[in-house]
Amino acid sequence: MTGLLDVKGVSRCFGGLKAVNDVSFRVEKGEIFGLIGPNGAGKTTLFNLISGLTPVSGGILSYDGVPLNSLPPHKVARLGIGRTFQNIRLFKGLSALENVKIARHSRTRAGLWGSVFGFPASHREEQEVKQRAGEILALVGLDNRADELASSFSYGDQRRLEIARALALEPRLLLLDEPAAGMNSAEKHGLTQFIREIRDRFNLTILLIEHHVPLVMGLCDRIAVLNFGELIALGPPAEVQKDPSVIEAYLGGD
Amino acid sequence: MAEFLNNYGFLIVTVVQQALLGMSLYYPLSAGQLSLASPGFYALGGYIAAIIGTAELFAPWRDLLGKAVFPLEWIIAGVASALLSLVIGLPALRLRGIYLALATIAFVQIVRVISLNLSITGGAIGIFGIPQLFESRWGYIWIFGPLLAATLLFTWRLEQGRIGRAFRAIREDELAAEAMGINPTRYKAQAFIIGGTLAGVVGAMSAPFLNTWNARQGTFDASIAYLAYVLIGGTRSLWGALLGAALLATLPEILRPLNDSRLIINGMVLVIVSIYLPQGIVGALARLRGAGKKKGVPAGGKT
Amino acid sequence: MTTAQFLQNLLNGISIGSVYAIFALGYTLVFSILGIINFAHGAVFTLGAYLTYAMAVGQFGINGLLSGLSIPVQLPFPVALLLGCILSGLVSVLIERLAFRPLRNRGGDALLALVSSLGVALVTVNAIQYFVGSEIYSFPPEIYGDIKPAITFSIGESVVVIRTVQVIIFGVCMAVLVSLGFLIARTRFGKALRAVAENPATASLLGISVNRFILYTFFLSGFLGGLAGSLVGTSFGVAGPYFGVTYGLQGIAVIVLGGLGSIPGSVLGGIIIGLIEAFVPPDYSAYKEAVSFALLFLILMVRPQGLLGQSQIQKV
Repeated sequence: MTGLLDVKGVSRCFGGLKAVNDVSFRVEKGEIFGLIGPNGAGKTTLFNLISGLTPVSGGILSYDGVPLNSLPPHKVARLGIGRTFQNIRLFKGLSALENVKIARHSRTRAGLWGSVFGFPASHREEQEVKQRAGEILALVGLDNRADELASSFSYGDQRRLEIARALALEPRLLLLDEPAAGMNSAEKHGLTQFIREIRDRFNLTILLIEHHVPLVMGLCDRIAVLNFGELIALGPPAEVQKDPSVIEAYLGGD
Repeated sequence: MAEFLNNYGFLIVTVVQQALLGMSLYYPLSAGQLSLASPGFYALGGYIAAIIGTAELFAPWRDLLGKAVFPLEWIIAGVASALLSLVIGLPALRLRGIYLALATIAFVQIVRVISLNLSITGGAIGIFGIPQLFESRWGYIWIFGPLLAATLLFTWRLEQGRIGRAFRAIREDELAAEAMGINPTRYKAQAFIIGGTLAGVVGAMSAPFLNTWNARQGTFDASIAYLAYVLIGGTRSLWGALLGAALLATLPEILRPLNDSRLIINGMVLVIVSIYLPQGIVGALARLRGAGKKKGVPAGGKT
Repeated sequence: MTTAQFLQNLLNGISIGSVYAIFALGYTLVFSILGIINFAHGAVFTLGAYLTYAMAVGQFGINGLLSGLSIPVQLPFPVALLLGCILSGLVSVLIERLAFRPLRNRGGDALLALVSSLGVALVTVNAIQYFVGSEIYSFPPEIYGDIKPAITFSIGESVVVIRTVQVIIFGVCMAVLVSLGFLIARTRFGKALRAVAENPATASLLGISVNRFILYTFFLSGFLGGLAGSLVGTSFGVAGPYFGVTYGLQGIAVIVLGGLGSIPGSVLGGIIIGLIEAFVPPDYSAYKEAVSFALLFLILMVRPQGLLGQSQIQKV
């Protein structure tokens, strides 16, 4: 395995608060990598740093050898980093199909005039977008509800739709921010299967934030633990589970 | 027929013209940007046409080109408006929500005050006796009509494809759109420029239609009127602007017997529609039609 | 520019700036509570000027429904002014009930509040036109009693002249600003107001009736709007039903400059714009109106949160 995402001494301050403090780790190709830690540990901030939504204060982020530090989010996405959001940010007023189609943006090229005049290339592209979006929806089992508004979906379905949307980007690295939040245990189990499946099928590397410990332990190849913005443990689940600093962070060491 | 056109020709052309101006505001709105800049570009386009049509300086052009000077005016107005929208839009589109609206209001006011004071724009009096393209007011339907048809077709095609989707994504959630690989600055600017260019061209066509051009063409009131067309018609459909303009531009005619109080009624319509038909007429119709079905026009517009 | 001219501009600028400040505070109060710009505020400004005129002078011209009317009883100016402001406040309350609250109850978005307040403005302005036409009404010079039209004083060789009206206006505005400052900083009303502005949900949990406070705020806002309109009217005349539109937009420039929602910001912004306008060289006086808009555009580009406003961090 070789490194796909390299996080080297990355920090982010908000005012005086160090939300992420000198964090380093490497995510290998094909890995399912878990990021855990108590609330406010800086996990989502780290996601935002990787996807370019928040600029880093220090350190180096690189993806497949390309430095990410000064890239705007849309360029990061273009490089092949897709993500979901902790609080689900679907395009709620649009249909499920449209949500997925939108993510094909950076993999298609039609310009203003191409779209308007329906040049053959644009026309072909549009057909392809439709087909691909349909396939991806089918993959998450939502193809029969393609025309329904995203806002009409249940919580679990919205999470799945958000993953579908991220997949449509054709990412090589997929960031999942609490994909199991709000799901019941049957759904959680299905999610574990599903994440493995898409990893194998699309040759993905997956970085995920999750609170539900059994799910993380069963799913991830390696885990990084953050506490108060600092990396306190890194390794395979079994090792991390036994790490005294992790136990302390979770149980509170006062 | 002749009598009908005599009576209503001007009104019909006006509806079409106003619908086009509503459309110019619809593009940025479809990308989630509330811009009230259209009257500024409309005024600019009109002044360009009026000056080319009347100034001594351009007499050789007019002699040389004859009627062909008109299309030339439209092109120059379109290009000038596109450039100005780029210059105004790039800095202004960093602003969100009400702040962008305020910046564009400021732009319209600045254009107005400048045109009130320059001698080339005729100061407060404006420019008179702009040469006519057609013999009657009704004749102008032959330019505004095709332009509206082309604009609707353009918009319809645009919305089917990749660019239209990018606009909608930004309107729904700019941040998520960015994370999906869409460059918001680029598409917001595109939407803004399309709107500005259209307003400029409509201005250039309107100067001869109205025969006179002055600073009253590009005012805050006009911004509000165009916005009202789109909102009343429906912000989420390309037909909204047309429907809204048809309603609001004919309302004064229908209410002509009421004379002075018709603007009062216009104002009341704005209040009532914003409260009771927040998705506009198109939205309400779609909901009526879609009642029982889950599909259709979504609830709640976004700014 | 001579010292005398400088002083003259300075005094004029501060005087008109203080009117802008109290007018802009009307926007700010509503904005800090509802987060919307009440575009009908300019119409209340106009209405206030007409109401004060009707009660203090009561002579109507040749246009509109009231043409030729002459109200037999005239109130002393201070009483008319106070009543005019109170009525403006009540109209503002009416606007809140008719145009804003129904929208809030239905969860309509801010864009619709903008349109609905513009609709109200359109109704108000045209209703005024319907009644009194669009001619210019001037308050007679003796409205403030038997005073000299101008105050002169000399500095060294040069003589400074300032219109007495400007001085009075400045005095009135200062008195209002000080009382308002007291009201907001020291009274229970002010505390509740700030609580509602901070967080309406929490405030209502604390037993504050949010809707009632919104009404009070609109009353205060309308009162200030009517006062500003009346004062400007006594100084420059009431220039037709649309004369509030320009002031309305200028007031918006003021609040953006000062920082949306910031009370000290509105005062500072008002004074700054007043001063800048006063110092526009006479040769360019025609561009005076554009100055505040150019400033508005510029400040939005450079510092959208305004001089004293706080920038907002977007949450992901």
